[in-house]
Amino acid sequence: MDKEKTPVFPLHKRSHYLCFCCIMVVILFFSFIMATTLGSVDLSEESVGKVIINQLAGREIYEPTWEESTETILWTIRIPRILTAFIVGAGLTLCGILMQVLTKNPLADPYVLGISHGASAGAVSVIMYGYLSFLGGYGTMVGAFGGAVLSIVMALKIATIRNKVTATQLVLAGIAVSALFSAITNFMIYHTKTGSDKVKTATYWMMGSLSGASWEKLKYATIAFAVCFVVILFLTKQLDVLLLGDDVASTVGVNTDKLKLVIIIIATLLTGIIVSISGTIGFVGLTIPHITRSIVGTKHKWLVPASMLVGGTFLVIADILSRVVVAPEELPIGVVSAFFGAPFFLYLIRKSNGKIGG
Amino acid sequence: MSENTLNVKLNVSDLKYSINSKVIVDGVSLDVEEGTFVGLVGPNGCGKSTLLKNIYKVYTPSRGAVYIDGKSVFEMTNKESALEMSVMQQENNVEFDMNVFDMVMLGRFAHQKMFHNDMHAEGEIVRAALREVGMEGYEERSFLSLSGGEKQRTLVARALVQQAQLIILDEPTNHLDIGYQYQIMNILKSQDVTVFSSVHDLNIAACYCDKIILMKKGRIYDVGTPEEMFVPSKIKDLFGVDTQISINSVTGKPNVIFMPDVRF
Repeated sequence: MDKEKTPVFPLHKRSHYLCFCCIMVVILFFSFIMATTLGSVDLSEESVGKVIINQLAGREIYEPTWEESTETILWTIRIPRILTAFIVGAGLTLCGILMQVLTKNPLADPYVLGISHGASAGAVSVIMYGYLSFLGGYGTMVGAFGGAVLSIVMALKIATIRNKVTATQLVLAGIAVSALFSAITNFMIYHTKTGSDKVKTATYWMMGSLSGASWEKLKYATIAFAVCFVVILFLTKQLDVLLLGDDVASTVGVNTDKLKLVIIIIATLLTGIIVSISGTIGFVGLTIPHITRSIVGTKHKWLVPASMLVGGTFLVIADILSRVVVAPEELPIGVVSAFFGAPFFLYLIRKSNGKIGG
Repeated sequence: MSENTLNVKLNVSDLKYSINSKVIVDGVSLDVEEGTFVGLVGPNGCGKSTLLKNIYKVYTPSRGAVYIDGKSVFEMTNKESALEMSVMQQENNVEFDMNVFDMVMLGRFAHQKMFHNDMHAEGEIVRAALREVGMEGYEERSFLSLSGGEKQRTLVARALVQQAQLIILDEPTNHLDIGYQYQIMNILKSQDVTVFSSVHDLNIAACYCDKIILMKKGRIYDVGTPEEMFVPSKIKDLFGVDTQISINSVTGKPNVIFMPDVRF
């Protein structure tokens, strides 16, 4: 029996897993440093470190030897942006994992299914027509959540035939739902905006951007993400079982109806909030869970925390690229993530079609 | 009979199930006695699988009830019923891979708390079940890389670790070659549990079942021992095939030989 050599991946030792997480934290740390120093204005690592320490301590530990603009750029623009990138990346990854468990299909993610587009249509409608203004800053998020709910119901209705979600149905559902909601979003933008503003706003919502990041928005998003993350950590074992199919899960003892409802609520809530602060960034929820799964395995107890790290780090790096590649201009971050994600998407489609008939 | 009447483990009472006004299961009542191996036999589309799905709560019947040890399964939570009965369905298509050990461990779900489980003891239960089905040493293998028979045996192990007194099998040996079919039935027969299984192969049913329930067009056609049920007239009526029945000199069980109506 020992002749059967067990492959290195997926990792099966706890110590290896923790080691992987540590490596990710180190990579995240270095990406964070890079992200703070690089950009339209390059800052030195030294002054970056000193500003951060001063700000965290709340007093001047180091004598400011840098220009005041350095501090402004760093503390009010770059750092909230980097942290937002992390939360958005981790959040989209979590949504991707949830959609994949829900549909039992590795191709599912909020972007592919068109839920991100639904959320962005909801957010845009609130911004353009201001009908939820009594909610203040939360209005956009509530609108995005509403859009996400509407689109997830549509997407799942289209994608599910006799309780099964096939790859083909899923992709078709995604095309239909995202086309519809993109059209609605663009219509609303062109209806209310004029001049170059149109294109700019449309690009923001269609391809995503982190340029609007602020401490204020970051705070809401972080709280929402943290709550969803903790709830999911409690459910990891049930998610494992649900992968086997609804029938099997219920005979093994899972309350599948309740669990699926919780998954849908969390996935739509989180998608709504993320889209409301970053627009639609594609393929993160598709690529990251798949890559992480191949490293740490399918068990959600390991997969969820590890992929949050990978997803967050990925988007921090993608954001650096989006700022550096065409500097001083900025690429929409969705362009960067699509460059990585789209080939991956094709690979997964090929793979899942190969299985049929095999 | 009165002295050795067995307790009824599973009781189905007047169960009716229809989809879009088409009746699939039509007023079925049956008993499965404790410690017996009961086979459900009938042609394709007679409602076997639908009946079983009603029993293990994937479908909700439009009328009737299902009791395990006198308790209605519809009043149990999924977790409670998982402790009473484990179910093995046809090989399920999983898109996501996991290793054999983890796959079997999922069968322990109903026994585990959210935190603080004795994972060492749990692991022992899983390993014991894998030993039972002859899958020792396969713990780290990926489930999707297994052959059909190995997958099926893994699923048997998963049903066993659930440690329920009643095991329901929904066409457990479909798509398996003959060696694996007998192997899986042997494993199940050797367990100290009550088994209710749909069976395709009449000779396998004759060999392993204490009681046979024949089904036709959503109704119970007849119930009895394999010797009583596997007679040419009944098989002709159910499957439309002529047969010759002999007694197997080694097993002492009925042997069904088919004689299709073909001129050579």
